[in-house]
Amino acid sequence: MSHNGDALITATNLTKKYKDVTALDNVSFNISDGITGILGENGAGKSTAIKIFLGLIPPTSGTATVLGENVSENVNARSRVGYMPEHDCLPTQVSASEFLTHMAELSGLPPRAARTRAADTLRHTGLFEERYRAIGGYSTGMKQRVKLGQALVHDPAFVFLDEPTAGLDPVGREEMLDLVRKTHRDFGISVLFSSHLMSDVERTCDRIIVLHGGHVAESGEVGQFIRETETVFIEVDTNRDELVKTLERRGVAVTPQGSGLTIQGTEKIYDEVRDAVVEANAALRRMTPQRRALTELFEKEHA
Amino acid sequence: MTATGTVFDIGYQSYSGAREGRMRALTAVYKDGVRIALGLGRGPRAKALPWFFIAVLSMIGLVMAIIAGAANTLGGDGTAEKMSLPTHSDYYGIASMILFVFASIVGPELLCRDRREGTISLYLVRPLTGADYVAGRWLSFLSVLLLATWLPQTILFLGLCGGSPEPLKYFQSHWLDIPKFLAAGLVLSAFLTTIALLVASFTTRRAYAAVFLVGLFLITTPFTVGVAQGMQGTLAQWLSMFALSNIPLHISDMIFAKPSELTENNHARELGRNVLILWYLAWITVMGAVIWFRYRRLTP
Repeated sequence: MSHNGDALITATNLTKKYKDVTALDNVSFNISDGITGILGENGAGKSTAIKIFLGLIPPTSGTATVLGENVSENVNARSRVGYMPEHDCLPTQVSASEFLTHMAELSGLPPRAARTRAADTLRHTGLFEERYRAIGGYSTGMKQRVKLGQALVHDPAFVFLDEPTAGLDPVGREEMLDLVRKTHRDFGISVLFSSHLMSDVERTCDRIIVLHGGHVAESGEVGQFIRETETVFIEVDTNRDELVKTLERRGVAVTPQGSGLTIQGTEKIYDEVRDAVVEANAALRRMTPQRRALTELFEKEHA
Repeated sequence: MTATGTVFDIGYQSYSGAREGRMRALTAVYKDGVRIALGLGRGPRAKALPWFFIAVLSMIGLVMAIIAGAANTLGGDGTAEKMSLPTHSDYYGIASMILFVFASIVGPELLCRDRREGTISLYLVRPLTGADYVAGRWLSFLSVLLLATWLPQTILFLGLCGGSPEPLKYFQSHWLDIPKFLAAGLVLSAFLTTIALLVASFTTRRAYAAVFLVGLFLITTPFTVGVAQGMQGTLAQWLSMFALSNIPLHISDMIFAKPSELTENNHARELGRNVLILWYLAWITVMGAVIWFRYRRLTP
């Protein structure tokens, strides 16, 4: 993933055992600047890894460092780390403004700076107009934004986001993913993004770590996993049968797939396909390289 | 001419100021605890109970001061003392039940809600330990209870001073009452804070904790004192030691060198000063240790 020297987070031979269950088994990885997705089914060890990094539980063996510090030994190191939990964690009676100010002070910011940071963070997360309303009256989407806001209010260097899109409708989900991207792109804060939703990770993260049964099953750049495959998918409005015959005559393997055709071959095949479409006088609607989805990766691990 | 202005979006600004770490976090927990206990920054419902209790307790102090002042005005200086009208030493005995109910209802709010709403998980990923969190909450409720105990006594003292025909002379002869009522208030508040937070640490529901605590105070005192009354000797003395509301009042009696109405016939007094002091300290220590143990390893 990265060289140890660039790593913001490091797990070295990390093992965590709960009585008879081994949640993490001798796991080692580094996480560098950017947005990193951590994937895995329930019980894969995602939450355990995050809790160890946050210093909430000690590892059975091995070491975990965040920004070069072991946060369970040095609690002050947590002032540069943010955490957005998956579960409900918001007080219902107080306003978002008061809550974020309190969270900033809890992270060590002086009161005046905490108030300024809270107002700025609420503006960046799109809650500025609603900041004096009690959180109990907020919609699910607004609550998720408050949860993200409290994780960012003290301007951490690294933030852990646990299922940030949970419970959101498609519009809210898209807005949240945009905020996550903004967190790194505009705010310069590195992110560890834990999710079950492959599409969220695929669209948001630079790198991924796949945990399976307490082991690191895969890790690397997202592009590596969703790289273009040697397949082109085309759809035509007319003369589809004629096009199939033309392509076969030219020695191109064609497989019908739904309303379209899948054609085996690398980029070199594009010219061949274009010529065949012209020859068959077919009206081309779509021609696109097919991508391998992260879902396949997950399915592979399950298999 | 029309004035024009331009709004600039300066974008995200990184924070490069001071990060004060654990002490700032502890202070934040303390401040938040005081705000929760007094309902500050919250709706009228959250404010109603604590301020009602503080008002009632203050009224008791004010009424005591008015009665003593009227007696001194009508009968001359020192009449209130000659008539044995209630004063600082009697206040905690008179107001103790209201203070117990106040601690039972308001105290659990400081711990229960954070666990019920899951906010505790946000505290424990900050530069703060579980023990820091509970220490901050303990100190904040202690401060609120000190307000509730010291304010009426201060009103009473000022009232007695002001009601006296010679206020300066009254102050010179009674100024030692001030450290006494401050110390006795601290003893009572520390006990109530610890027991309220201990019970709160076992439930996420404030109502359950409040009902349990009120029941504990209302049942243990009449039960133990009642049973002990029909008995004699060491058993009676030790049985009456379990009257929870009397544990801090015995120390208060020692500070004022005068028993209150609630404790003057209590068998526990026969065990002597040292036993009563050790008994009080043992309760505080054990209850505090249990709270610390419960929050020491708390993980979300």
